[in-house]
Amino acid sequence: MKLRDSNEITTAASAAAIEDVSFKYAGGDREALREVSFELRPGEMVGIMGASGAGKSTLAKCLNRIVPRFEDGEFRGVVRIGGRILDGDRVCDVASMVGMVFQDFEAQLFSTNVTHEVAFAMEQVGLPRAEIAARIRPALADVGLAGFDDRDPTSLSGGEKQRLAIASVLALRPGVVVLDEPTSDLDPEGKTEVFALIRRMRDQGLSLIVIEHEAEELRSCDRIVLLREGGIVAHGPPGEVMTRLDLLEECGVHPPDMNRVIDLLGIEGHAASVDEAETMVRARFPRLPAMLDGPGAIARNSSSGPPAAAQPEPPLLRVEDLNFAYPFGPRVLDDVSIEIAAAEFLAIVGQNGSGKTTLAKQIVGLLAPTGGTITIAGRDRKNLSPAETAHEVGYVFQNPDHQIFAATVADEVAFGPRNFGLDSAEIASRAEEVLCAVNLAGDRDRDPFLLSKGERQRLAVASVLALRPRILILDEPTTGLDYREQRRMMALVGDLNRAGIAIVMITHTPWLVAEYARRVILMRKGRVMFDGGVREFFERDELLANSSFHPPEATKLGRRFGVTALRPEELAEWINLNHGRFHNR
Amino acid sequence: MPIYLYIDRGTLVHRLNPTVKVFALFIMFWSVYWVDHPLALLPLGLLLVALAQWTGSWPNFYRLRWLFILLIFFTTLAWMVFYRKGPALINIPFLHLSRAALVFGFGRGLKLAELLATSVLFLSTTKVEEFTAGLQRIGVPYRVGFAITLSFRLVPLFIDSALTVVQAQSLRGYDFNRGGPLERVKRYVPVVIPVFMGALRKANNMAMALEARGFGISATPTSYIDYPMLPRDRIAFAALIGLGTIYFLIYWFGYGAISVK
Repeated sequence: MKLRDSNEITTAASAAAIEDVSFKYAGGDREALREVSFELRPGEMVGIMGASGAGKSTLAKCLNRIVPRFEDGEFRGVVRIGGRILDGDRVCDVASMVGMVFQDFEAQLFSTNVTHEVAFAMEQVGLPRAEIAARIRPALADVGLAGFDDRDPTSLSGGEKQRLAIASVLALRPGVVVLDEPTSDLDPEGKTEVFALIRRMRDQGLSLIVIEHEAEELRSCDRIVLLREGGIVAHGPPGEVMTRLDLLEECGVHPPDMNRVIDLLGIEGHAASVDEAETMVRARFPRLPAMLDGPGAIARNSSSGPPAAAQPEPPLLRVEDLNFAYPFGPRVLDDVSIEIAAAEFLAIVGQNGSGKTTLAKQIVGLLAPTGGTITIAGRDRKNLSPAETAHEVGYVFQNPDHQIFAATVADEVAFGPRNFGLDSAEIASRAEEVLCAVNLAGDRDRDPFLLSKGERQRLAVASVLALRPRILILDEPTTGLDYREQRRMMALVGDLNRAGIAIVMITHTPWLVAEYARRVILMRKGRVMFDGGVREFFERDELLANSSFHPPEATKLGRRFGVTALRPEELAEWINLNHGRFHNR
Repeated sequence: MPIYLYIDRGTLVHRLNPTVKVFALFIMFWSVYWVDHPLALLPLGLLLVALAQWTGSWPNFYRLRWLFILLIFFTTLAWMVFYRKGPALINIPFLHLSRAALVFGFGRGLKLAELLATSVLFLSTTKVEEFTAGLQRIGVPYRVGFAITLSFRLVPLFIDSALTVVQAQSLRGYDFNRGGPLERVKRYVPVVIPVFMGALRKANNMAMALEARGFGISATPTSYIDYPMLPRDRIAFAALIGLGTIYFLIYWFGYGAISVK
């Protein structure tokens, strides 16, 4: 079955349209959407971009009546699906017309096996049993889950879960499919799987709306809508919107690396792929070398990369031959040996399940090794009390909401020091110090639950910092944050590192590794596959390809010219400098 | 760790109509209810052991082995405090160790263990969706049945979330085991609040996703799987009625009780 039969494409002029829609959430202090008008044509794929709170999800939710039927508030305007005005319809009434896939894949799977999951929506709308049975297998095949029929959804990987959610939406054959940040919680492999599926859905003529933080992923859209504070600030083909780099940054969206490079080189236009960018750069700089580690390669200790540690220090942390397996389970860590020196900035990368978080939990003592040793500041971790461990190593969990509970920001930060029996003057002084460090000093009396996700993440860092650890482990510190919040978070982490704290950052985000880390550890199936400098890491094309870890696009583009650049500015600078050199030879 | 107890073995028990299996659950509870004496409970126990063997459910019983052992041991012990009949065999402070108390306590423990074993067996051989369908057949509204299905999915998610919260707070030096019993309960506030807030968020997301999939459009959705009542289901049904009747008769004629001499 095709994802959508061509004769089913709606004959109406637009697959979906919203006209002058405004919405203010009950209790909200401003309108989440302000007189937004927008049309989705049949077979078109439209990308919606913007910072957190710009109104992206609210706009999407208007299309299937979650706004205003599920979310309370003041709604004005008209929404049409396939020419029909939605008025008085419940969310469930439009389920067959508009399919919606959410970011939280755990919260949209309800059944105990894959087949039942796909059948669920069809059962709800009352399709006959024979029709349900006929649609299940093709829907699973479409999303690449053929043969998964009897699997328990909880046993699937993140990418598979999200594809299952898409299959169950597609089985209803809706005219419009809305995907609200479908890859935010996925690892690189899951992201690749889901975006490959989205491109196939688009090729087969489905009308799609895709909401994303990362501009790069939306380059294949027909049109881009850029939102800021509930209003549309730019609207047009990707080539038009994605070349407005300053506007994208102002709106809290990460501008595509390749367009940044092209812009810095004074080339006008939009590169839709690395191939296109290479062609454009070579047209302007015809003498640039091909894939070779030529005389112009950026030196590994180049000053343009992230600043290197001042002096090699004796290791603060030493992990030797570490092994770990859960009872009756396979090995999660397999002979892992690493050392971490004071003031290092280390990124640990690898697919979900590769052992990254397990290694971190071993270091802080949440898990005990089945073999090997961990030495912190020269002492066996087994002999350290929780307080001693906490003063050496702090661990910030991926989701800040797993630790926030206090009534005020200041109380939240004071929790750790209080548990370790510090006196109140010391607690107050530390709280002040760390709240200043994370830029939350003005929010000390606020309710932590009313902070934004980025602020809550910084609060979680502050409450761990209050114990003054010498090593700080951050588990995916930027997940769920928009570009602006990610930058703010990483600026904080960079400052802490410069103040002498060793940073161990577990992440899936390539540009964070390239721009901030000085050393990378790549893990696969519980083993360390690579341990070395960042530039050296991104030179290992084959290793990266086998690990589904994609370098940032500026790095990919640089590799075409035989150079390993970590940032767009660095690549543009290198091209400008070296083109002349090649030209003069 | 697998979240569900269901073990896909495809035996005749697995393939029975879910309504019959829900009825079997009821009949087992009914039969256990009417008798107290371990000897009267023994045939039911043997039946459960045979069914566990037949359906390949032992891995689940193994997972819960300590629960069974503790249930029987502590129930027996507890009844030595409350059941004061019969001459004491040994004098121990606070406990009344008589033959009658032992038999009665052990019988109660066995009763609870059999109820638990029946449930384990039921979940080992019945998918949650079949359970919901079975409930629907006996007149339970679809939404109630679906809520039960959902709870099976949610409980492990919440447990997982609670474990992470406990880890996060313990790394901040929090000691959950300080103080007396009341103090300890209070000390779980830093866990309860994040878990509760997380649960609210998750429930909200789930409700949205459910409605977006058409949940609520009909009070009686179609069922993808048909569960016809086959001859084997009728035979099982009759056998279960027979079992329930026998146990009621055992009670009626006074055989299942414990007499104190």
